[in-house]
Amino acid sequence: MPERYLALLDRILTPVLFLLAVVFLIVGHNEPGGGFAAGLVVATAFLMQILARGDDFVRKLIGTYLQPAMGVGLVIAIFSAILSLPEGAFLLGVWWKIPLPGGAVLEIGSPTLFDIGVFLVVSAFVTSYLLELSRPARGSRR
Amino acid sequence: MNVNANWLAAPVVLPLMAAAVSLLVSTRVTPKQTRIQRNVAILAAAGNLLVALFLLWLTAGGDQRIVLQVGLWPAPFGITLVADAFSAIMLTLTGLLMLCLVVFASGTLDERQGLNFYPLLLFLLMGVNGAFVAGDLFNLYVFFEVLLMASFVLLSLGGRPAQVNGGLRYVLLNLLASTVFLATTGVVYGTLGTLNLAHLAERMDAAPDWLRIVIAGMLLVAYGSKAGIFPLFFWLPASYHTPHPAVTAIFGGLLTKVGIYALFRIYPLLFPDLLVEWQPLILTIAALTMLVGVFGAMAVKTIRRVLSFHVISQVGYMVMGLGLALSGNQLAAGFGMAAGIFYIVHHMIVKTALLMAGGAAELTMGTGRLEKGYLGGLVKRSPVLAGVFFVAAFSLAGIPPSSGFISKLGLLQIALDAQQWWIAGISLLVSLLTLMSMIRLWQKGFAGPQEDVVAPLRRPNLRLTVAPIALLVTASLAIGVFSGPFFEWSSVAARQVLDRQGYIRAVAPTDQILPIGEQSH
Repeated sequence: MPERYLALLDRILTPVLFLLAVVFLIVGHNEPGGGFAAGLVVATAFLMQILARGDDFVRKLIGTYLQPAMGVGLVIAIFSAILSLPEGAFLLGVWWKIPLPGGAVLEIGSPTLFDIGVFLVVSAFVTSYLLELSRPARGSRR
Repeated sequence: MNVNANWLAAPVVLPLMAAAVSLLVSTRVTPKQTRIQRNVAILAAAGNLLVALFLLWLTAGGDQRIVLQVGLWPAPFGITLVADAFSAIMLTLTGLLMLCLVVFASGTLDERQGLNFYPLLLFLLMGVNGAFVAGDLFNLYVFFEVLLMASFVLLSLGGRPAQVNGGLRYVLLNLLASTVFLATTGVVYGTLGTLNLAHLAERMDAAPDWLRIVIAGMLLVAYGSKAGIFPLFFWLPASYHTPHPAVTAIFGGLLTKVGIYALFRIYPLLFPDLLVEWQPLILTIAALTMLVGVFGAMAVKTIRRVLSFHVISQVGYMVMGLGLALSGNQLAAGFGMAAGIFYIVHHMIVKTALLMAGGAAELTMGTGRLEKGYLGGLVKRSPVLAGVFFVAAFSLAGIPPSSGFISKLGLLQIALDAQQWWIAGISLLVSLLTLMSMIRLWQKGFAGPQEDVVAPLRRPNLRLTVAPIALLVTASLAIGVFSGPFFEWSSVAARQVLDRQGYIRAVAPTDQILPIGEQSH
């Protein structure tokens, strides 16, 4: 039975959680956060959707994409690890400096890429786990 | 020879990459999806075998260790991957078994092949490979966990009640062993201030006696229960007969041997003196493991249960090799270790072949029960399958000219040379009992009157099923016939495992962290 009050709340909270996940993902290299934490936050957002709108809704929405998302995340993480092979070492950090308009410089590196991969794997894995847990037992009535 | 150490990452990265790619197509279960996943798995397994053979070719001389400091962080600060001849032998065997298994599985799998069977197999391969190249205690733990998680899902894939039951026992007891392992890692780091194996080897000699005994004992419990030694083996017969036969085959061939590998790696490196001091304990464990396994095999009544109990009794022989690793009067130092390594090689090949053949018999007949009216007459029904089973069974029992004969002979030689008469006697008795057990399997399952097929299961594709078994059986015979070079090879590997200083020099930890208690605040 989806919870009514959550259905009201989640319209506000879901975007907030997604934004929070992005913040965690970006600051994660130097500050607390990172891909793992951001993935968990996204999974929390989906958990709220499960509670508010029922697991069938979420499963129809994203269910089939969860396993491919794990695959994409793993591919990204491995790619970031072998990116540094031309520099001579596996999993060595590689950094690029991208000049932005206005004089600022965006420094982006393979650790960020690795974090994005971890983020995808964790969010997809935890969400599929939650979906499986919220599936009603065989034979039980809703 | 100078070699790019980054090759060492390939045995871990390649299976992970293949698993990730085959997850991309898993949006819905279709025959096409299954086919793609299978083809990716075959390609990855073949590539992995090639990489392993390349590493074996590099290290086979026994004088080179390939060391990869991941991300160029020097040991002991970063992750270290190390491969020597022993690691390369294990990697090659794993690659060979995995390739055979993927072919076997594509010939026998039922609807479970749609449930991401092949990606899970690749995750398992990644965990096993990683454990063989791990250069520090914590990463060894991580790779143990990777293979445990993959194996848990493989065990319960399909979700039949018996499978969930067996899977639960498996995961519960293995998690318990993992907890002990993790606790030991904590103790080691808290007291010695490092987890890198080479760095630990440098520091372990200066550690107080009680600490070394605690660490060695806890590691023996942790690895021992993974390996299935007495008295920590009980999870194995409780779970190995429940999953699909392909899963049992790879588990019986690979998983317990990862625990044995860890024992063979850690004990000579960190506690070479305890290997001598604790010899009575280790040999007693070996003897009890052999006896319990072989007696257990006599008491159970399905083909895969019998073979699972034989996994345990065979593990006993390997532990015997470990116990005799440093003994010997006339024979060269390290002969026991070499015999143990040779036994692992023989066992992994033969056990997988045997479990595959037994599983194929079970699938063909729809039952694995060794009673009148269930399994029988397979000699007439599929003579090729019966033939490969026959050779594999006699290799396990140790009949010449198979690899089983030479490997048991090696262990017997070192036991007699070290004047451990009793363990020599027990190992002879157990191999006699193994022979009896194999004859019983043959009589009940393969000879005798032809029985009707019990359940309408998916009939295995016989060509895809028998070909990998035949390949493994041929490998076993080849090792038996050309035993000289192969034994020489495992002696080289054994000498390298026992060479502590060489290992430390190759990894070259920079000693800048002080153990707790020596810091000046």
